Amino acid sequence: MASAGERLSTVMGHLNPSKASGKSKLLEKNPDDIVITLAVRTPLTKARKGGLKDTPLDDLLISLLTSVREKSKLDPALVEDVCVGNVLAVGQAYAARSAVLAAGFPITTAASVANRFCSSGLLAVQNIANQIIAGSIDVGLAVGAESMSTTPDNGAPPMSDKVLNHPIASQNTQPMGQTSENVAGQFSVTRQAMDAFAASSYQKAEKAQKAGWSADEIVPVTVQWKDPKTGQVSVKTITQDDGIRYGTTAESLGKIRAAFPQWSPSATTGGNASQITDGAAAVLLMKRSRAEQLGQPIVGKFCGATVIGLEPRIMGIGPSIAIPKILEKTGLSISDVDVFEINEAFASMGVYCVDKLGLDPAKVNPRGGAIALGHPLGCTGARQVVTALSELRRQDKRIAVTSMCVGTGMGMAGVFVSEH
Amino acid sequence: MNGMLEYQTQGFNGYAVKYSPFFDSRIAVASSANFGLVGNGRLYILGLTADGIQAEKWFDTQDSLYDTAWSEAHENQIVVACGDGSVKLFDIALNNFPVQSWQEHNREVYSVSWNLVSKDTFASSSWDGTIKIWSPQRPTSILTLPTHSCTYSTAFSPHSPSVLSSVSSDSHLRIFDLRTPASASNHLVHLIPIHGAPPAPGLPARQSFPPSECLTHDWNKYRSSIIATAGVDTIIRTFDIRNPKAGPLALLPGHEYAVRKLAWSPHLSDVLLSASYDMTCRVWTDGTSNTQQDVFRGGGKELGRLGRHTEFVTGVDWCLFGAEGWCASVSWDQRLLVWDVRAVMGQ
Repeated sequence: MASAGERLSTVMGHLNPSKASGKSKLLEKNPDDIVITLAVRTPLTKARKGGLKDTPLDDLLISLLTSVREKSKLDPALVEDVCVGNVLAVGQAYAARSAVLAAGFPITTAASVANRFCSSGLLAVQNIANQIIAGSIDVGLAVGAESMSTTPDNGAPPMSDKVLNHPIASQNTQPMGQTSENVAGQFSVTRQAMDAFAASSYQKAEKAQKAGWSADEIVPVTVQWKDPKTGQVSVKTITQDDGIRYGTTAESLGKIRAAFPQWSPSATTGGNASQITDGAAAVLLMKRSRAEQLGQPIVGKFCGATVIGLEPRIMGIGPSIAIPKILEKTGLSISDVDVFEINEAFASMGVYCVDKLGLDPAKVNPRGGAIALGHPLGCTGARQVVTALSELRRQDKRIAVTSMCVGTGMGMAGVFVSEH
Repeated sequence: MNGMLEYQTQGFNGYAVKYSPFFDSRIAVASSANFGLVGNGRLYILGLTADGIQAEKWFDTQDSLYDTAWSEAHENQIVVACGDGSVKLFDIALNNFPVQSWQEHNREVYSVSWNLVSKDTFASSSWDGTIKIWSPQRPTSILTLPTHSCTYSTAFSPHSPSVLSSVSSDSHLRIFDLRTPASASNHLVHLIPIHGAPPAPGLPARQSFPPSECLTHDWNKYRSSIIATAGVDTIIRTFDIRNPKAGPLALLPGHEYAVRKLAWSPHLSDVLLSASYDMTCRVWTDGTSNTQQDVFRGGGKELGRLGRHTEFVTGVDWCLFGAEGWCASVSWDQRLLVWDVRAVMGQ
């Protein structure tokens, strides 16, 4: 039976529905809940330098999907659909379905791709969850994956005159770096604040890596790797994130030259922006009733996600409007949330969002973010879910909000509960 | 107020009150120590006498009591809804222990309702998201109906032996008809969103509210398709289950906090009594007493209120006998009040 505290909170919920109901409702366990039974990722490694530099998207996917198949101990025939969040790869739909088959899933397991730039991984989670909610499938796998080494980001393609002459649509031609400067300029985010934010990301990531906090997030990847000096190809097993520069301080970052001197205030540098990185992450989803039936371990719950648009020229501040929107939808307040995983596309937007929402910095990206770990575009949305669940487990906390800004002017946010 | 009677349930906070369907002078009160959060429960059997209200007997239980219902078949039998998930049947001719205790619900039982037509069954509903149907003669429940949501209230239709309803924290009114064949729908025939359905093509737009926990409901005693609901959003609504998609017929706003209990008058088809966390009991008409059209013009209104309780009012019931208007209310203030609704009209 319920404890006195639980009974009291139901009465409090009757008296104060707006305050008490959101969190307690979110923590309820119902058979229809969309739960996560496995959440893992590959190491994140530097593009063109790191361990995954010679691994194209399909090989990266095959490795991760094989790990999921083995680690989940789930009959692969039960996985009905795999949605791959990916932004850059040419022929991404070929890669997705082919990798699913090559990774040992049967021919009945379907595949699709999701692309909404940096939110693609979270969009994949939402797509699979929605399919389960709608009854289209029972079990699905959401993946985010990006090989930025083999398919670099070349920015916006040529666009029609109607777009170019439209006052807002034309902003989509602006490179991401320019939007970071727009945010820094419009909202007076200083270089010092950005460097301090970035240094903190590095320091948190360094602490987490040295303490081995991410051990339960990461599945190793065995790849062929070409030595850039000798040209020798060898087989390597990659187990660690390699983007974290130990000993980084705000002072050391302060010495780095501006990356975009052509756009005022030129506060963005290679040190306070996200790294270009390769990596992949996967989240296995099903209803609670199905998970219990299959004896799958429930590690977390997907509680919903939402998206909202804004002016493309300041796309970075997307989380500052997407997070309030998802909190409102789930009846949560900022203080109910234990961990915020906000993608650090640039320190300018990171500083602004934390400040604007009044977040406790200790709750934001406790293991560091994309500045320290890297930002494989399509992977990030799923990677943040994996990291958030692992961090909630470590802290013995419950509720995480994950959010990211999205190129072309959007923000996406989702709410997850850990059930460790 | 003249003629108001009072009984102190010393050390126990009231949760439910029910007049005996057999004797006009007998009242049962389900109560709990420490506001029902932790500790014992106590079922009082009280008599209205020339010397005021006297305790005829009481039964103590291990855990809190949240509701009670008199047997419609046996004048001495009464069931209670317990915090420990059990449903217990007491015989008031006996002492101390229940004659039957059923331990099937996995969480707190919040309501019990006796079948008024087929008098050999009753229903219970629980925080565990189920409604169970029982017979006093059977060692286990007859049927379990899932709601997947904390179910604060269940009630048999007073007009049909096989129709029952529930309201729950998911903001829905459910109607079950046990005559329907057993199937995946578990006898569910209507699922009515109390807060208002999303706008649909072909239906006129109407006011919508966010979903909120529904705590209580009651079947009208004269109009067999009318049900009143209320809960956390403080608004009392009436529904006609013949037209479940039409939304509420009457909206009766006024309570300042959640409504805990509703009871239609056994004498007047339009009159309703409510008990609320705002410490008042209120008397309402749903506006159907004059012309049928009134209700659609918002003819429902508050007729009067009792402000004598000093804590949350949790239970209220009408006396079935004698002059129309006598009722009883219980509250966390550890008092049972017996009073005449006509004395508070216009207040």
